[in-house]
Amino acid sequence: MIISTFFNSYAGMYVAQSFCHSLIAAIITERAVKAWKVDDPAAQQRFHLIAVIFPIFSFPLYQALNANRSSAQFRLDALFDINRWLNWEIWGAVPLGLLFLVMLIATSLVFLFQESIPVVKHTLESRNAEHDGTQCAPEPFVEKASRDLSLEAPEVLMLDDDEPVLFSTTGRDPVIFISAGLREALTEDQLHAALAHELAHIARSRRPLLITVFVLRAIMFFNPAVLVKFRRAVRDEEKICDDIAVSLTGNPKALAGALEKFYHKPAAPVETDGRKLPAVPLPIEEYSHNLHLESRISRLEHGAARTRKNETALFAITLLVITVLNYFVV
Amino acid sequence: MRTLNRTTGFLSFAVAIGVIVVLLAVMNWVPTAFQKDTLRRYRSIEEVSTALNIRDIYVPSYFPQHIVWPPSEILAQGKPFPAVVMEFKDAGSGEIVLELSQSQGGPFPAGPAIALAGIKETVPFIMKGRKAVLVVGECARNEPCSRITWKEGPYTVTALMKAAPFELTRIAESMLR
Repeated sequence: MIISTFFNSYAGMYVAQSFCHSLIAAIITERAVKAWKVDDPAAQQRFHLIAVIFPIFSFPLYQALNANRSSAQFRLDALFDINRWLNWEIWGAVPLGLLFLVMLIATSLVFLFQESIPVVKHTLESRNAEHDGTQCAPEPFVEKASRDLSLEAPEVLMLDDDEPVLFSTTGRDPVIFISAGLREALTEDQLHAALAHELAHIARSRRPLLITVFVLRAIMFFNPAVLVKFRRAVRDEEKICDDIAVSLTGNPKALAGALEKFYHKPAAPVETDGRKLPAVPLPIEEYSHNLHLESRISRLEHGAARTRKNETALFAITLLVITVLNYFVV
Repeated sequence: MRTLNRTTGFLSFAVAIGVIVVLLAVMNWVPTAFQKDTLRRYRSIEEVSTALNIRDIYVPSYFPQHIVWPPSEILAQGKPFPAVVMEFKDAGSGEIVLELSQSQGGPFPAGPAIALAGIKETVPFIMKGRKAVLVVGECARNEPCSRITWKEGPYTVTALMKAAPFELTRIAESMLR
């Protein structure tokens, strides 16, 4: 009864409907990208972000348009009413709404520990002027590429680490960090490609629209469909920065070569008492990391197909379909 | 070639949307197939009583002549909380002019037929010893509209009518034993 009362309140309807709306938007955008063969990562990201941003506003917008959307008659004639599922009691005792709430809480915890805390930590570290690492000799390439991106050339610091590490802080005074191990493993061209990729991240992090999207995403902290779609959008961001890096260096193969250094290899088979044990499979996160790397490397090696389409029209059609369909999902 | 690709793309997208719509409709139907007391339409008050085992359904004994009996629409549910909504039409215009609802889970609006928009006055009202709240206002086209709400046992009962409060309170009082 308490659960059903919550899902009949404005806040409850917002939570439940925004989940449905984002899930439907996620499926539709996925289909739209495939059906229209949208291969530009920046365009793909725009499509994926519909599922992240749209559910924030959909419910209040629909309610403002028609306050009777929550009435019994509208729900009865709706295309899909999530309350029918949320009120369904398994073995006449446990309402599915309770399991739904557990799923939302689990998603909120994932958001807190995997997204919020690391971002806050990263921001605080970016503000801290003192960085570990030794300053590298000024790279003329970094100076030139920064000018091309209308950036002030960031500092490049070397970390005393044999593992391949490359990242940048994106605060007011951005810094690119590269490990000694990676620096040694990369050729000159690969190093330039890798630095260009980081410069692209720094340049993109200053776009107000992107910052707004990242802040808005936090409103949907409880929404598992948004969690998945936002991660897709973040992966698109890597491909966008790959493209910017290639435009700066003109050498996609060098970037592909640099990316290969980040490939996680499974542990080698271990031999004990003359018997060979099978190789240890990779944990799922590393497997997914490798899959993403493979797709980026393949794009760079085979040349990303660039069929320019009227993406604005396709985007508008997709958004319109999502808006109309979700109006009848309560 | 480009036109063919575009047509194939649009077709593929349209098919995907069709599949999503059908899937949503099926998923919307599944809970009703397995739960008999979920929200649905009923033909008569007796049917509601029998199907959902709701014994107290509040119906007025006084009806102005222009309101048609039986209700044109009856919606009811047993779970998550018992609730019944009835709509009544005007004999002349065929418009829905009266809406009665009773719910054990707070307000249970029926539908868009009567939407009380401009509220002019909200006053406490005593009705056969029950404390009620009477709201007077306007619906669309500046028609007079009024609503009265009170607690009756475990139920919150609401009567909403496209009429001045005098007629509505008479109907509401006739619902009490």
